Amino acid sequence: MLMEASVLPLTPFRRGKVRDVYVVDEERLLLVATDRVSAFDVVMGETIPHKGAVLTQITAWWLRQLESRVKHHMLSADTSEIVREVPQLRAHKREIAGRAMLCRRTTVFPIECVVRGYLSGSAWKEYRDKGTLAGEPLAKGLRESERLDPPVFSPATKADEGHDENITIDRMRSLVGDRSARELETLSREIYEAGRAIAAKRGVIIADTKFEFGRVRQPANGSEASGVVILVDEVLTPDSSRFWPADSYEPGQAQPSFDKQPLRDYLDAEKRAGRWDGNYPPPHLPPEVVDATSKRYLDIYRRLTGHSLQPDGAH
Amino acid sequence: MTNIYSSPLAERYASQTMLELWSPATRYGLWRRLWLALAESERELGIQIPDDAIRQMRANLDKIDFNAIAAYEKRFRHDVMAHVHAFGDVAPAAKPFIHLGATSAYVTDNADLILMRRGLDFLRGRVLDVLRSLAAFAERWRGQPTLGYTHLQPAQLTTVGKRATLWMQDLVLDLEDVDYRRRTLPFRGVKGTTGTQASFLELFEGDHEKVKRLDLMVTEKMSFPAPLPVTGQTYTRKLDAFVLSVVAGIAASAAKFSGDIRMLQSFGEMEEPFENEQVGSSAMAYKRNPMRAERIASLARFVNSLEGNANQTHAVQYFERTLDDSANRRLVIPEMFLATDAILLLMSNISSGLEVHTAVIERRIAAELPFMATEQLIVRAVKAGGDRQVAHETIRKHSLETARAMKQGAEANDLLERLARDKSFGVKLKDLEGAADAKRFIGRAPEQVDEFLRDVITPLFAGHTGKAERAEELRV
Repeated sequence: MLMEASVLPLTPFRRGKVRDVYVVDEERLLLVATDRVSAFDVVMGETIPHKGAVLTQITAWWLRQLESRVKHHMLSADTSEIVREVPQLRAHKREIAGRAMLCRRTTVFPIECVVRGYLSGSAWKEYRDKGTLAGEPLAKGLRESERLDPPVFSPATKADEGHDENITIDRMRSLVGDRSARELETLSREIYEAGRAIAAKRGVIIADTKFEFGRVRQPANGSEASGVVILVDEVLTPDSSRFWPADSYEPGQAQPSFDKQPLRDYLDAEKRAGRWDGNYPPPHLPPEVVDATSKRYLDIYRRLTGHSLQPDGAH
Repeated sequence: MTNIYSSPLAERYASQTMLELWSPATRYGLWRRLWLALAESERELGIQIPDDAIRQMRANLDKIDFNAIAAYEKRFRHDVMAHVHAFGDVAPAAKPFIHLGATSAYVTDNADLILMRRGLDFLRGRVLDVLRSLAAFAERWRGQPTLGYTHLQPAQLTTVGKRATLWMQDLVLDLEDVDYRRRTLPFRGVKGTTGTQASFLELFEGDHEKVKRLDLMVTEKMSFPAPLPVTGQTYTRKLDAFVLSVVAGIAASAAKFSGDIRMLQSFGEMEEPFENEQVGSSAMAYKRNPMRAERIASLARFVNSLEGNANQTHAVQYFERTLDDSANRRLVIPEMFLATDAILLLMSNISSGLEVHTAVIERRIAAELPFMATEQLIVRAVKAGGDRQVAHETIRKHSLETARAMKQGAEANDLLERLARDKSFGVKLKDLEGAADAKRFIGRAPEQVDEFLRDVITPLFAGHTGKAERAEELRV
């Protein structure tokens, strides 16, 4: 609950459903993942212990794995280090422990770069109904949750609310220019394929994911357009991706979600029983549902990284 | 009750679902949810509100004693305060905190936005139902030639299915507007009496961040994308005008459809569904009237006449708010939704039961088609060894005579027979009839239907399997 009411002594930049962004200075932002959790577009009253730290530290771990392939925005995810860099946070060290990431500020492209390596969710529905994915025809006879080789790149614009709008590659080109569109697609595919391979060895299927990119600002020497493209936002986390356990993977049906399944199952049951209409207020989550969900997040962290979560993000 | 007036929208036309949406139970249930969201958020931001208060509010969201509220309202002459007290009676631990820092518009305005957004969702489902029926209709009749009309005069042929895609496309455009408004509709949020958030700044002892956060927290709890950045006491009434314009757009699309149906029924080409024991006319027992399409026209004119009303209400709001919006909005907003709901129910019913009379359609084509086939007839004459200019003159002469004969009572268009008899034209009747085959005059209409259904309609249903709303019986 701590994070709910906390207001850090920094200028807020944006408050998301589960993440807050603060301005540190001209060049840096502080991203803080909270323990808030949403399902079916509604934010739950309860928080999920460790969720925020898991999301931040998974992103940090991935960025270290991928460092040779792509530049990224992370300066530090180590709370002690962050507090040294941003002394105003000293009194708030406990609240941000493990959840905070100090980042370079960039000009973010207005595009969600979605890569799908498995046929699932809205992509499966589109394929089932039209035989296409992101408007492009796809091989016949694929089953739900089937692996896609090569993966499909399907950009979307960022809508204010949860539901982003899928766009064509042509539309993306007209929004960001030919060169950037090509660069974002190439980077997205590369990072996803590298991530998919690494996760597969650890028993996790990353069915699909979304990346965001930004251009480094170079106010001193030249135009923004010349800045380097770097990976920003959260990366290959259970919130930005669909994670499936590899050991129970079976194409031809929907797969259980690694992280939110206990929560979704509970809410589905509440809906079916007529105890919840899908709007505010959501039902109270029983402690066992909160615990099970929290354990899922910690388990994903352990599976991917091979270590248990450290409380302050040190590695 | 038959001794007092009640709205025909409630009595006869609108669906149960839409009537429930605009009911007092739903509205005041939302007020209580908004009070709960406010208290929860204030507590999360450090205001001392006991667990019991929250628990009691939660337990009584829909247990609303309307008699108690009526009694309070009689005393206070203030509806929001009546509800505050009645809620406090069933949630005594919360009584000191309900509505803390808020002004009436916090519950009234935010609830209106929630209701309008849900209303758009319902209408969206209804539009999809209509599109589903019309898609089946268009597919079935994709290749059936029929007279097209421009200036209400017979023109080149189209197909029955192609014409249905024109109706559908209008609704698809309406859906795009619905989706945009639905997605971007902002919340009024937590703003205080004149929109300055002064009472909340007081409550949080000058902490601006907490005040801003409260606004965002409540907005997020109610699943809105963002609060309006600034408001007076109320949200700008421009939002009503925006939403109601989308609703009116749906009504206009339906009215265009109904006009076509009524004329087609007058021509005898098509008919709307007719129940086994339905009576067409009290005097003329044989009559079968397009009364459902006429009712659409009737209700749509009502809805469209109200569209401008919303902009006028916005225009005459002075400074931070005036109350001359209140009584007007109380009528206009629900009635536009209820009437449009009724319109779409009718449209759904008509489009799933349309009867097509191909014999009449073909007879009407036969009366006009030979005139339209001029180019094709000339080509046949030239291929048979004739001269293009001579053939043109021959056709002109016979066409005028045929038209004159028909106006004087001739039963059929016998232009082709006249040409076949004219030795100077030199083409056999069978050849002429081949040139004037209706299927040669429908262009890409069938293919356009296929493409439209494939590219525009099918994607709309991606992810939807059944009907969007529970089945409603039309009250005819």
